[in-house]
Amino acid sequence: MDIEVKILKDREAKLLVSNTNPPMVNALRRVLIADVPKLAIEDIEFHLGTIGDEMEDKEYESSAPLFDEIIAHRLGMLPIPTDLELFDFRDRCDECEGEGCPNCTIIYSLNKKGPCTVYSGDLIPVGENDLRPVDDLIPLVKLDDTQALLIYATAELGTAKQHAKWQPTNGVAYKYYPEIEIDQDSCNLCGECVESCPKEVLDIEDEELIIADLEGCKFCSLCEEVCAPGAIDVSGREDKFILTFETDGSLTSEEVLKEGLQILKGKFDEIAEMSESI
Amino acid sequence: MMIPVRCFTCGKVIGNVYEVYKDRLEQGEDPGEVLDDLGIDRYCCRRMFLSHQDLIDDVMKY
Ligand SMILES: [Zn+2]
Ligand SMILES: [Zn+2]
Repeated sequence: MDIEVKILKDREAKLLVSNTNPPMVNALRRVLIADVPKLAIEDIEFHLGTIGDEMEDKEYESSAPLFDEIIAHRLGMLPIPTDLELFDFRDRCDECEGEGCPNCTIIYSLNKKGPCTVYSGDLIPVGENDLRPVDDLIPLVKLDDTQALLIYATAELGTAKQHAKWQPTNGVAYKYYPEIEIDQDSCNLCGECVESCPKEVLDIEDEELIIADLEGCKFCSLCEEVCAPGAIDVSGREDKFILTFETDGSLTSEEVLKEGLQILKGKFDEIAEMSESI
Repeated sequence: MMIPVRCFTCGKVIGNVYEVYKDRLEQGEDPGEVLDDLGIDRYCCRRMFLSHQDLIDDVMKY
């Protein structure tokens, strides 16, 4: 399996995977979705009862227009910056054996008094400051002038096999590498194929039908259908693929890819070991 | 109610651009163009914005 990197931005990647087959690319795809771990908020403690403010001499209700469960769910969805070298799974942590420690958990506090909108950026990590949520403008809930929110939230590592909030990637998809054959002798340059293509793959240049954007082709075959002389043949290669994915910002796409390939290699090593012992 | 944090279908984080989207719409910009600009490309994510109603202010009273 060869991987050629086309785009590798923070939150977006496009790869050309060649010398392989569909099951292998799909294995990589599924590892990127369900096996690469990241941090997400798992435990939340809500302060109940009134929240006093000594400065203003005013008491706030610890209630919000949304149910606590919904706020908890929204908090769980937030992307939390993840350093896979630093963090361990909580239940496999050597330091604390599941109690929770700086090696396996991040604790956030949120303390807001209404009237206001509570944003993801209002979550303050206890201790370290570079671990604020990746996006700070995600609205969580709104409070009126009698309401306040005091929350302690604990983030830990997990994988999307347990819950989708631990999924570092989205839009992970691959397609066959397109092959478009044009029979220039029978092509009559009517231009109907150029018109019909929704992705502007084909073009006519210097009295010749050319392929302007091969990788944009998504196999709709409209060009084949409208071509009266039948000069176009669209097919996909079964040994070369275009793999694209995005990340939610917890990890960069490079980190996700490296970790994913490592995990995939581990799985294959395991199978090889098992097959030897048969 | 409140804008969902993520797209229901693909899981992309969309809540982070909602405030910008709302502001630009109030200034009379075209929703489609604003979404293109903000990188909300897939139609699953776009419908999250187009079908959203901010009801939180109505619910707040109760
Ligand atoms: Zn620990
Ligand atoms: Zn979507």
